[in-house]
Amino acid sequence: MNASQYNRGIRKVIIAGAAALGIVVMAGCAGTPTTKSAAVTKKPAGVWPLAIQDPAAHESGAQIWSENCMRCHQLRSPAQYTPAQWGIIVQYMRLKAGLTGEQAKKVLAFLKSASAHQD
Amino acid sequence: MKHKQRMAMCIGLALAMLPAAGLQAAPARADYKKLEKKYEALQAQMATMARQMTAMQKQMTEVKKEAVAKATMSEKATKAEFRRLYKKVMAASQRISELEPGNIQVLIDGDVNFQFIHKSGSASTFYADASPLIQVRVDKHIFINAGFDFYTQSGAAGGAQADMGAANINYELNNYMTIGGGLVSSPIGGIVGIYNPAPWNRWLVDGSLEDNLLPPNELGVWTRGGVPAPNNLGYFTYFLFVSNGPALASTAGSPYNTLTYGNWNPAAQNGKTVGGRVSYLPIPNVEVGYSFEYARPSADGAIRTSNSMVQAVDFNTYYVNKKIDGLVRFRGGWAWDQVGQGVIPGTTTFAFGNMSDGGQIEAAYQPSMCGIKYLDRMMAALRYDYIDGPATSGFPTPGHEQRWSVGLDYWLHSNAVLKFEYEFDNLSNAQHGNDAMFVQFAVGI
Ligand code: HEC
Repeated sequence: MNASQYNRGIRKVIIAGAAALGIVVMAGCAGTPTTKSAAVTKKPAGVWPLAIQDPAAHESGAQIWSENCMRCHQLRSPAQYTPAQWGIIVQYMRLKAGLTGEQAKKVLAFLKSASAHQD
Repeated sequence: MKHKQRMAMCIGLALAMLPAAGLQAAPARADYKKLEKKYEALQAQMATMARQMTAMQKQMTEVKKEAVAKATMSEKATKAEFRRLYKKVMAASQRISELEPGNIQVLIDGDVNFQFIHKSGSASTFYADASPLIQVRVDKHIFINAGFDFYTQSGAAGGAQADMGAANINYELNNYMTIGGGLVSSPIGGIVGIYNPAPWNRWLVDGSLEDNLLPPNELGVWTRGGVPAPNNLGYFTYFLFVSNGPALASTAGSPYNTLTYGNWNPAAQNGKTVGGRVSYLPIPNVEVGYSFEYARPSADGAIRTSNSMVQAVDFNTYYVNKKIDGLVRFRGGWAWDQVGQGVIPGTTTFAFGNMSDGGQIEAAYQPSMCGIKYLDRMMAALRYDYIDGPATSGFPTPGHEQRWSVGLDYWLHSNAVLKFEYEFDNLSNAQHGNDAMFVQFAVGI
């Protein structure tokens, strides 16, 4: 079994699309109120300044992120750090969260593409 | 004779001039023919050249046509080709950047937290700490982490204090395993070391009573990682270590008179401690953990006990749903510290040989989806915590202590929080312990 199968397996447990979930919480407690309506739609494109280039490719990354990265703390917006900074943080959070290398790679790809900043 | 000579000269001259005069006046037929041939040859050459020219021109227009056709036709193919090439270039540059020395990336963050504490029975105080965290991505596999804690110290000792919370090097061996060494938050008990050591990601201000039974950090070597369980049945994480062991707290008044975790005192460590934590996540929102730490501690080298064993269980879960208008979190754990018996040197008196236990359960609710401004940023928190020390302990009065804490947080941001907390303290042999009130502003950076 691999990580994506695992994530597919638990998909039912999470409501309304994983990425949307995380964003809703983030919007509720952290984001600007205007992002809230956009957050419940499935496309995160309108939420962050830089749209996800290829949503399908990063779907599992977004999912792993929203499900795992709020286990211990509030979800932090991808816009809070640059892609390079996310590279460092995910290397650290892989250890904290006990992610596999493969999962960490997917989360990082997602965070980088959703980060508003450029390197 | 003169006349004869003159005549001869004239005839000679005339003869000598004859050919020139003859050419101009009347060209020979042979010469004409020659010229005519030359002209014909030139004409033929010109004709071939003209033919070649038209052929070339034809070719040119065909090539031109082809080029135009290709340029318009292959836009799609070109894009695909370009994308393929782009990917190749990116992959190559990525590989190069990973290999290249001098590509070390550093991130300095951490948190700052400021508190007001009022404990019944003692003077109220302000407290502040700043905990910078240096994170270094040496390369794809190597990660370094160094954390410090600078804080104000109240009471007679006063002044500012500094502590080191982390200094470790980690190497990612493969998809499932990282090895490391140095000083790291202890995974024992899960709640502090794994889930939330930083003030910005806790929802209550004060630490729990269970924390007294657990090592805050480990100085040693470890291996940690995550492995998916077979058949889609969830996920395991593990963190196993060998580190400097605990010491026995032998002085009266030491908290609970059991184990102290200094990490720093080689004389007090009889060998090393072996420990770790494994956790299971049936789904990403639910984690249950078990941890243990075995050691053979001593008290400043004087009293040596047979062994000590710390065991703990923990769980952590969250649920987000519109039906409940937001987010709930539950977290809890229980720890047991067992210390073997030791003989005080030169006597037959036994010391230690005791057991402490304690735990906590905490819950939080944030109506993040209620749609009401300000209310969606509020989090209500509740905790019950408990500790039971051995009768011989330095615990103020033998028995147990239990507390209820209520908190209200306001999340300004995902990493900035204002917290209020009230703690109701109860001792088993007294009506009231030291109730306390906290106000905290914590920002993770
Ligand atoms: C097991 C608990 C846990 C999980 C799961 C977790 N984090 Fe963290 N995270 C922490 C803790 C604890 C800190 C505070 C750092 C510290 O004190 O060492 C933190 C800090 C952070 C920070 C602040 C910057 C930093 O590096 O200190 C960011 C950003 C972050 N986490 C993102 C993530 C992302 C992204 C994920 C998902 C891959 C994630 N976290 C999963 C526990 C966790």
